[in-house]
Amino acid sequence: MSYATLEVGREGHVGWLIFDRPDAGNAMDAVMLEELEVAWQELDADPEVRVIVNTGNGSAFQTGLDVVQLARNPDALREQSRRTKRAELKISAWHNEVTKPVIAAVNGVCAGGGLHFVADADIVIAASSATFLDPHVSIGQVSSFEVIALVRKSPMESVMRMAFSGSHERLSAQRAYQLGIISEVVEPDSLRDAAAELAEKISRNSPTAMAHTKRALWGALEMGLTDACRAGAAELVEMWGHPDQTEGPLAFTERREPQWAPMNT
Amino acid sequence: MGAYEHLIVQREGPVGWLINNRPDQLNAMNSAMRDEFADAWIELDNDPAVRVIVHTGEGRAFQTGVDVSEIAGDGVGMERYRESMENFDLHFTSWHQQVWKPVITAVNGICAGGGFHWVADADIVIAASDAQFFDPHVSVGQVVSIEAIGLLRKMPAEAVMRMAFVGRHERMSAERAYELGMISEIVDPPDQLRAHAQELAETIAKNSPAAMAATKRALWGALEMGLTDACRAGAAELVSMWGHPDQTEGPKSFAEKRDPNWLVE
Repeated sequence: MSYATLEVGREGHVGWLIFDRPDAGNAMDAVMLEELEVAWQELDADPEVRVIVNTGNGSAFQTGLDVVQLARNPDALREQSRRTKRAELKISAWHNEVTKPVIAAVNGVCAGGGLHFVADADIVIAASSATFLDPHVSIGQVSSFEVIALVRKSPMESVMRMAFSGSHERLSAQRAYQLGIISEVVEPDSLRDAAAELAEKISRNSPTAMAHTKRALWGALEMGLTDACRAGAAELVEMWGHPDQTEGPLAFTERREPQWAPMNT
Repeated sequence: MGAYEHLIVQREGPVGWLINNRPDQLNAMNSAMRDEFADAWIELDNDPAVRVIVHTGEGRAFQTGVDVSEIAGDGVGMERYRESMENFDLHFTSWHQQVWKPVITAVNGICAGGGFHWVADADIVIAASDAQFFDPHVSVGQVVSIEAIGLLRKMPAEAVMRMAFVGRHERMSAERAYELGMISEIVDPPDQLRAHAQELAETIAKNSPAAMAATKRALWGALEMGLTDACRAGAAELVSMWGHPDQTEGPKSFAEKRDPNWLVE
């Protein structure tokens, strides 16, 4: 599949999903909204891909909906409004129920709807020049999904401050690191190398164990602690007897890379 | 109760100590140790002289999860734990055993995989400056679940997910754990860890045992539900203490500039 607004590639076991509307701050127009759904599903379905890196071309990571372009496309706007109303968005990995680990590599400004891709990633790293802001309330829009997910995952005060300061203040990559919103800050021109290196490490782990882990951890955000542990225990036990559980320790004692079973999707 | 093969259980003043004692196996938990944990938590919780519990390990590791050599050695594997895991009927942490006294985990070295159970389920966590944290489950084909679900409630989620997916290929330092709020204190030099934990525990032991138990029930209970329901349940814990003799003794001893004599039930 070829894409007009995204770059989708593979390198070894790493799938890359790159926003490619650099002249528009990688904002999502009608085409990108459609392509995102296809691209996430394509990478998730590809058995060669074990981990996905999401980043952007140009100086911005992602700046949310391209409202100017969408205003000229009433059908696309209507469809997007319908999905928003029903909380049926299909733009992030989480919306598309991607089963593989997803790393967001934030290469520059991440604004408003761009925060979906930070909130919905498993791991987030950023260039030292990256900034985070949520301008929704500065243009009369409500900030909702993105920040709801961020509230579950990060210290809340910082999320509320971002939601209420709108376009008038930016969170730096350094502060996002201190807060644990991201786990690594790198020099801007080594961001993709750092993401590739991290993805490479992750791709050495059991794909099936990671898929169960992902379901257990994201599922845990849906319920109380004891219920989440109970559901998590089911994910755990489901994997017992899987060939990876013999292969893992065996490879370790034989000092070689494990040969994981392909994932049953 | 009282005689343990794999644990050391002792008292020092108002502080009960539970010490992992399989240093040659990096304190990995075999099934005998798993059973001893269940008894040791209850023994310390039932002892009215114990007001605070400190949990640490002998040797260079704090805890490294399930004893893999036992799992690999006898053909039974993880199956021995199937029933208890399927029913989420576990008894090896203070949270599983509903210990309502404050529990301090003092991480003395490596904390890996299942070792996070006692980080997630403690009230307070401190660590030696050379402590290291990592979760190798997915690197050996195992799912990350219960421990990480507990951590997700208590600290920034991105860091937990990164540890879960990167497996044995990366370690988190005590310094980063401190920055993220996973632990509240780093003790340096490392050999001062136990002395410092004793000091912290004695400080906490100066507070009303009944008030601390109700506080612990309110705060851990809050992880089970939405905010308003948690406040409602918390209000019940609050009111349950009203009229308790500690609520007269506390202000009185303060005015008389002496240590309070708390009611011990």
